Amino acid sequence: MNDLSKLMFHLIASGSEEAGAAGHGGEHAAHHATSYWATMALTGLTLLVIGFLLVKAKSGFTNRTFRGVISQSSEQLYLFIENMCVGTIGSHGRKYVPMILSFWLIIFFSNVIALFVGASPTSVLSFNLGMALVSIGYVQYEGIKSNGVFGHFSHFAGPKLGGPLVIISAMIFVIEIISEVMKNVSLSLRLFGNINGGHQAVDAMNKISFLPLGELLIPIKLLTCLVQAMIFCLLTCVYLSLVTHHDEDHGHEGHGELAAAH
Amino acid sequence: MNVIGLGIAALGVGIGLGLIGYGAMQGMARQPEAIGKLQVAMLIALAFVELVFLLTVFVGAPGLK
Repeated sequence: MNDLSKLMFHLIASGSEEAGAAGHGGEHAAHHATSYWATMALTGLTLLVIGFLLVKAKSGFTNRTFRGVISQSSEQLYLFIENMCVGTIGSHGRKYVPMILSFWLIIFFSNVIALFVGASPTSVLSFNLGMALVSIGYVQYEGIKSNGVFGHFSHFAGPKLGGPLVIISAMIFVIEIISEVMKNVSLSLRLFGNINGGHQAVDAMNKISFLPLGELLIPIKLLTCLVQAMIFCLLTCVYLSLVTHHDEDHGHEGHGELAAAH
Repeated sequence: MNVIGLGIAALGVGIGLGLIGYGAMQGMARQPEAIGKLQVAMLIALAFVELVFLLTVFVGAPGLK
């Protein structure tokens, strides 16, 4: 356990290798992680690309039709995310579309940028951890908003048990809080491991011979980019659906819309 | 020794991913109208199985040097 926590510290600190931790940061397997300033620059590049695409998309809107490739594909993207939200959360899932869409855009374009410039913000654990914190914090916010503070936190304690069984409720509460905290870790580690692992696999294949064999992995990395962005959004949707469910039955409406869309 | 451990972990996770793919494929073939729902559940399961291997790598890989 001590090793694990040290490793986590190393992985988080490896983003700030330039800030004096070079002696520590260089010795472990994650030394491919880009430095802090490179990460910031890449994040800026990602946001620039997203902003450019969105401006292009907006310029294609008229009041009746969407013209241009980028505008129409942005509409398709919106429909895809809306389908995911409504299918997973239920019919009240449409109001979470902006947040999920932001996550999708940031993660997907950060991942895809790595195919062109060789490094991406999402291959640094601190970036992913920040995004996971935002995601889980948003889930807590929405849970409190829809169930109230007491309702949201009593939801962690499981079903209502009477008498001496309160002790079991307390234990469930503690375990649920731990699992809620570990959701941050699992979200960020999954993204980091997939993206950084892809980079290291390409590095390793490039070292085999003088030929850049690692480029053969680019198509499968593109698939990873898409799937990881989708999984992050999907898991955020699932977490949202766990905390924002209401008593009335929304299930059938949601399924009906999902079935109609396919 | 760590390399063997990583190999065993990869073996287990490979079997798990294959089982998930097998089950999902069979379900999709039997009931094509449920493909959307099956894909969502399959992706979530894949993500959780994959996380096990990633955790193994994070614990085991630094010892390789």
